[in-house]
Amino acid sequence: MIKIENVIRDYHAGETVVHALRGVSLDIDQGEFISIAGPSGSGKTTLLNLIGCIDALDGGEIEIKGEKVSTMGKKDKTNFRRINLGFIFQTYNLIPVLTAYENVSFVLSLLDIPEDEVKKRTMDLLKEVGLEGMEHRRPSRLSGGQQQRVAIARALIKNPDIVLADEPTANLDSKTGEDILKLMKQMNKKHNTTFVFSTHDKMVMDYADRLVLLHDGQIMSDERRA
Amino acid sequence: MKFLITFAFKNLTRYKRRTLITAGAIAVGIMMYIFIDAMLMGAEYESVRNLKWYETASARILNDEYWENRQQLPLDLSISDPDKIIDRLDENGIIATKRISIGGDLILSSQEFGEDGNLPVTVTAIDPSTDNEVFHYADTLIEGRFLEQDEDAALIGSWFAEDIGAKIGSWVTVLARGNGGFYEAIDLEIVGILNCPNPNVNRTLLMIPFDTADYYLAMDGAATEINIKLSDLADVDAELPAIQELLNGDDLTVMSWTAMARDYLALAEAKRGGTGMILFLIFIIAAVGISNTMLMAIFERVRELGMMRSLGMSDAKIRIAFMLEAAGIGLLGSIMGVILGIVADFFIINVGIDFSFIMRDMDIGYRIQGIFRGAWNPGTIVIAFFAGILISTLVAYLPTNRALKMDIPSCLRHQ
Repeated sequence: MIKIENVIRDYHAGETVVHALRGVSLDIDQGEFISIAGPSGSGKTTLLNLIGCIDALDGGEIEIKGEKVSTMGKKDKTNFRRINLGFIFQTYNLIPVLTAYENVSFVLSLLDIPEDEVKKRTMDLLKEVGLEGMEHRRPSRLSGGQQQRVAIARALIKNPDIVLADEPTANLDSKTGEDILKLMKQMNKKHNTTFVFSTHDKMVMDYADRLVLLHDGQIMSDERRA
Repeated sequence: MKFLITFAFKNLTRYKRRTLITAGAIAVGIMMYIFIDAMLMGAEYESVRNLKWYETASARILNDEYWENRQQLPLDLSISDPDKIIDRLDENGIIATKRISIGGDLILSSQEFGEDGNLPVTVTAIDPSTDNEVFHYADTLIEGRFLEQDEDAALIGSWFAEDIGAKIGSWVTVLARGNGGFYEAIDLEIVGILNCPNPNVNRTLLMIPFDTADYYLAMDGAATEINIKLSDLADVDAELPAIQELLNGDDLTVMSWTAMARDYLALAEAKRGGTGMILFLIFIIAAVGISNTMLMAIFERVRELGMMRSLGMSDAKIRIAFMLEAAGIGLLGSIMGVILGIVADFFIINVGIDFSFIMRDMDIGYRIQGIFRGAWNPGTIVIAFFAGILISTLVAYLPTNRALKMDIPSCLRHQ
């Protein structure tokens, strides 16, 4: 499903070069629930960004669903993301002026899906993530956990093959974080969606079926647990 | 598209105060545009009317050589039998009146005016029986009576009367050269004072009966001009060839008011250009305001922008979303501006602004004596409305583009 081969990513800050990823190779199969773990600056987010086609690599190759995304142009990457990828962010990144329903359904409006279907799918998914009755609430009237549930629904609404989550529980208390992980896992099992998430939290790592440890831009270990 | 419109509309409510302030700036710009345009249009409309009613008429028949030598007011370059031409015009349904323009000196005696003196004047000899069919002086009489045929009497403009201290019953003497070059002194009693709305006329007007001038200056029935009245809606220049046709063989020429008032029209055009520049600057200020607002709005939402781009929203759609938002501010500003503009127009059209304190002593080109009144211009209101929306929409393009140049990870990291 995802083939990462010898990926290199450098960042330039003036004359200083930061080697964020130094030849990372990784294969991820359909339906995996995989955690990319490591300390701050280890390259977790960079790797996620590269898989998510929102950053450009300096070396190596990334193939997703048989397509070489690393050589795609800007427009093709945008189209690819629109159809195949879902994102969950640490800070939820919900649009404050839109309701929970609108925050989720707008993703489908990008795919030109008929309005009836948009409504049905959004309502069903909001119910599935435990937000029934809260569809018309704006983010400011939702708790952090509820906001992240909206973000999960937003990531899953288009039935993507892959969901990328960058530190999805970092802004939540441990109980809510655990609930969110349970929900993600439940969705992973139900929809067979591949979840790739970054974390440096031990509890989050324990939930992963596979744990990839990054350090200084290199994979230190790759452990399958399930 | 429905989502983009909803999104743009909802974003307008995100920073209500900022939206209102920006819309307010646009509204003021649009209001000023509508107001100034109405005022200028009213001033021009009134000036043209006052030109035709008190100065040039719609058109004028002159001796072929008169216009070139008009500064000398030559009596010998005249129309020898004006009545014949007036009759010919009348047969064709054209209203006309004859006049003589005379250059001379007005002599003021110390007995009447406190001190002796003289000043150059242009005396206009009119036919009291037909002049008011072409011009509108009778309506401006504020004191005394109008002229009658064949009397040694004069009408005077109110500002002129004020300047020299003339009153009804005052006697003045005009020293002028008659047809042939002899000097003639004509004693005239002021019988009426006219408050002519055309300041250029009101400042210098001295009118006497045609027959009186004819007798004293030995004109032998000749006139220096025949003034023609055409319908206000008529295209004067288009009607001139037909009138010229009626003059065939008489060594006469007919001129439209636009040709005679070329100086005024050039001045009005220049003023319009100058005002256009001011209005352009007003719009630029409004455009800078909205550009700044959009810049702030966009840079406060860079992370959101990153999220939308991550989820596959194209740059084009994001650009449309922000431009729609700007269009919304423009729409709000345009609605407010048009309402304010219409209110301001009501004031300028029905009440006007009194500039008489300037106009009394200064010639600013407009043929308006004091109160500037506007005129409705629905075209301008419509243009201002749509320009407000269009400019607002367009100025959002640059800040949106700037934000879209950031890469997505930088957008997502943006604080």
